[in-house]
Amino acid sequence: MKTAGRTRRFVAFLAERFPAEKMSLQAMVQKKEVPVHRWSWAYYLGGLALFFFIIQIVTGLMMLFYYEPSVATAHASVENLTNNVPGGALIRNLHAWSSSAMILSVMLHLLTTFAMKAFGRPRELTWVSGVLLLFLVFGFGFTGYLLPWHQIAVNATKVGLGSIDAFGEYLPGALSDLPRQLRETIQGGATVGQATLSRFYAIHVIVLPLVSFGLLGLHLLSVQLHGMSPGVDKPTGRTEKFFPLFILKDLKVWGVVFLMLATVAICIPFDAFLDYPLAAPYNSLGSTPDGIKPEWYFFWMYYPLELLPFWLVAGGMAVLQVGLLLVPRIFRGTSRKVLKSLAAAAAIYLIVITLFGQAIYEMFSGGH
Amino acid sequence: MRALSAATSAALLLLAVETAHAYPEFEQAIEKNAGRTIDCAFCHINPDGPEGTKVGQIGSLSPAEFQALNRARTAFEPGAQVESPILNAFGNHLVTVYGKKKIVALRADPLALAAGLGDSDLDGDGVSDAQELLDGTHPLMSHHGNPWRLLGVNLQRAWFELIMLVLATLFGVYGISHLIRWFGHEARSALGGDEESKDG
Amino acid sequence: MDAFLYVGLPYLSLTVLIVGTVVRFRQAPFSVSSLSSQVLEKKQLALGTIPWHIGILILLAGHLVAFLVPDIWRSLTANRAFLLTVETIGFMAAAMAAFGLSVLVYRRLVTARLQAVTNRMDLVVLGLLLVQVLLGIGVALGKRWGAQWSAGTTSPYLWSLFTFQPDMTYVSDLPASVKLHLGLAWVMFALIPFTRLIHGFSVPLGYLWRAPQQVIWTTRRRLTRETARAGGVNPETSRRHFVKGLGGLVAAGVLMSVGVLDKLVGYFRGQRLDRTEQVDLLEKKLERLRATAEEQSLELERLQKDAILVAQLGQLDPKIGRYFTDYQMRPALAFKGADHLPILISAKCTHLGCTVASNVDDKGQIMCPCHISYFDIRTGQPNPGAPAKLPLPRLGWLLKDAKGTVMLTQDGAGNRTWPQGQEALDPASLDGLEVWIAKRFDTEGA
Repeated sequence: MKTAGRTRRFVAFLAERFPAEKMSLQAMVQKKEVPVHRWSWAYYLGGLALFFFIIQIVTGLMMLFYYEPSVATAHASVENLTNNVPGGALIRNLHAWSSSAMILSVMLHLLTTFAMKAFGRPRELTWVSGVLLLFLVFGFGFTGYLLPWHQIAVNATKVGLGSIDAFGEYLPGALSDLPRQLRETIQGGATVGQATLSRFYAIHVIVLPLVSFGLLGLHLLSVQLHGMSPGVDKPTGRTEKFFPLFILKDLKVWGVVFLMLATVAICIPFDAFLDYPLAAPYNSLGSTPDGIKPEWYFFWMYYPLELLPFWLVAGGMAVLQVGLLLVPRIFRGTSRKVLKSLAAAAAIYLIVITLFGQAIYEMFSGGH
Repeated sequence: MRALSAATSAALLLLAVETAHAYPEFEQAIEKNAGRTIDCAFCHINPDGPEGTKVGQIGSLSPAEFQALNRARTAFEPGAQVESPILNAFGNHLVTVYGKKKIVALRADPLALAAGLGDSDLDGDGVSDAQELLDGTHPLMSHHGNPWRLLGVNLQRAWFELIMLVLATLFGVYGISHLIRWFGHEARSALGGDEESKDG
Repeated sequence: MDAFLYVGLPYLSLTVLIVGTVVRFRQAPFSVSSLSSQVLEKKQLALGTIPWHIGILILLAGHLVAFLVPDIWRSLTANRAFLLTVETIGFMAAAMAAFGLSVLVYRRLVTARLQAVTNRMDLVVLGLLLVQVLLGIGVALGKRWGAQWSAGTTSPYLWSLFTFQPDMTYVSDLPASVKLHLGLAWVMFALIPFTRLIHGFSVPLGYLWRAPQQVIWTTRRRLTRETARAGGVNPETSRRHFVKGLGGLVAAGVLMSVGVLDKLVGYFRGQRLDRTEQVDLLEKKLERLRATAEEQSLELERLQKDAILVAQLGQLDPKIGRYFTDYQMRPALAFKGADHLPILISAKCTHLGCTVASNVDDKGQIMCPCHISYFDIRTGQPNPGAPAKLPLPRLGWLLKDAKGTVMLTQDGAGNRTWPQGQEALDPASLDGLEVWIAKRFDTEGA
């Protein structure tokens, strides 16, 4: 009796999230309206992230034609692609710049949808799939960073995976070795080596793309089913048609953004920001160069890890992850005003730590 | 991972200690001036410097290479075309431009090394070797340089592609804007048509 | 023959063109147009005339620019990307023009209603135009990069004509197809005043930007109904937006596809290296493969063997350490201690894993260069306040004589054993003994 009730409630839940009567091209495309108000610009961010994702797929596939995932040849193949293949440097640069741009737009998308309370009923699954996509995007960044197999790539990966070990300190007795075993399972050996490269390669080019296609499909389907969230407390009442008007505007934005992306990719090599010893091929028997750091989009958790006790940061991260997934439940009753302040605070933290993390770190660590 | 970034101070201290660097003054001065970390591979073949038994280090040289090394070591005056087996193309270029004597003398004023290099640009990235030396970016890597300088150079180099890109974007935006207005008109006339059919 | 083709014909045709046009404008100004046949046949007309006019206008503009500013044009076409773009656009325009013209010819020939308004001159003009366009495509294909060479041949020749100092030397050795293309052009210039080509002088350029006008073929009542039906929207405005929108997108698409195709073809053709570049690339690859192979053979050795030779004790030095690789594939250092026995210590800094330098300072310490930690080589302890907190692990070792007999062992903790008895070890012959690391001491070092 109880189970029957639960099943009924579950079916009702699904039926509300995936209404069968709306599963038609007419309802999802032709009838869809996009609200017009002061925050309308935020409706373009998700599409922008999708655009960068498409660029990632295209340029990534192109690089597969030249990349060799072995520790002996990975760096040489990337070097060959950059220096000798016509247009190779541009493709690689596009991939690098666009990855950063994708992560930036995904972060902005998260903050704005949060501030606009776009996770309210019946859009909970949209939010959850979006958060999972966010994790995937960071996974893309982490695994892709290793593939060129240069000093900073391997050493940053070592440090990133090494932080798993630090959990061991807080586990009792026999369990305390578990994190190390977990890390070695992930990296496929005692140290970061060929096994790690093969695994990260497979994850970066096959596993993560496949999973994100699935999640992206779910995310887009639910966006189209439920339409754009109103986004503000007092709707202006004005709307515009999703098709073709909003789509065309979206395309316009994509065009301008592509112009900017291509200009940057043509003119500024992404690696030019690195000190060149960091871009030298990884040497397992040699010394480690200075300045090993993760990509900028990990600064928000990297600098706290450097400055604060590990348990505090690890606990915070866990709370943040679970919290993000549970946002639709936790903030069910919160007003948009409060949500906006929270999002603004998060944005300020992200900006400050990303731009001034190094300075803050040097200030508090006191140098040596 | 803690404290990885005290690069400059570490480098300063490091150079106070006697190390295997041939001329640590240059490395120190460049790092201080540029705020970037460099290593021996700026001028030498091996990033750990010329002493040792690995590739590009003295211990690995063949007899013929030793002769070349000795020729390079005796190039005291400028103008000699040297091919020292422990130096990279930039290192050899420095010996050719200055001669060993002047280079050793310049240890007192390391950054003056840039002044005599003129407009030479060995990697062809558009940033001169002298500037790359001051910036601490590698003079032999065409994809490595001060990002903003490279931006200026590449804006000029790729002018045609960029203008075409801007043109294409302008055409596209123009086209889409007109299509949007066209759809607007069509929608309104369709509305008119609907009303008429209701009347009929 | 050349003299007539290159000098006589041009001046003749230009004279005919000017006189003929002036006469036609004065006698029948309203005939300066092309007789419309839209009412008689619409669909094929649109299919033919639109691509034809877009194509031919682009082509004429290209020819005109190369003629007007040959020097600028030459320097522009020296840029490979520009040249490729221009030629691609040229070919696309030529293909459009040829296609459109073919449709127009076909339409004239088979549509019964059009036969009535078609005069012989129309057919001649259409035929000549088609031949001219095909000739142009032929020249462009057969003699590649016309956009570039024309600036040095035909342009100065045309300038010499227009400055009344005709000079045929620029063009005298051009191939027959180019000559024919030029000659035909002059013939058609001469034909302009007598055919519908005259409409080139009355191009409705203002159309796209003038205020919309509506041509109404009907009564007032129908007009009211039509406007109401369109919701007060002028259908012409709407159509014009559509045309402009499509035009913009097509232009953007053409430019983008030219650029992207250019990059794509180069990318998938791959690297084209000369010999020295190939040698460099292969050398570099081989060097990395060797390094990997060396690393893996070290690893294999450490898996297979219970003990590995480090050096002869006599080769070790108290001041300069000797690098070797330990059982964990990490760097380590070997010194000779004050008691003439070996000191083996890990060289992997306990702070961040940098490799510690090999020279010993006056205090008996070695330094990690990354963040300046000093380690005592006897105990492995870092100096107080160093970034490194843990000592460098000491490694155990074996001393073997030339026959392979183990004379003395020391484990990581410093405990010594004399398997042959302490007295069997002769202090004077120490330098001849071999220093080995052993797997059984490895656990302490891990």
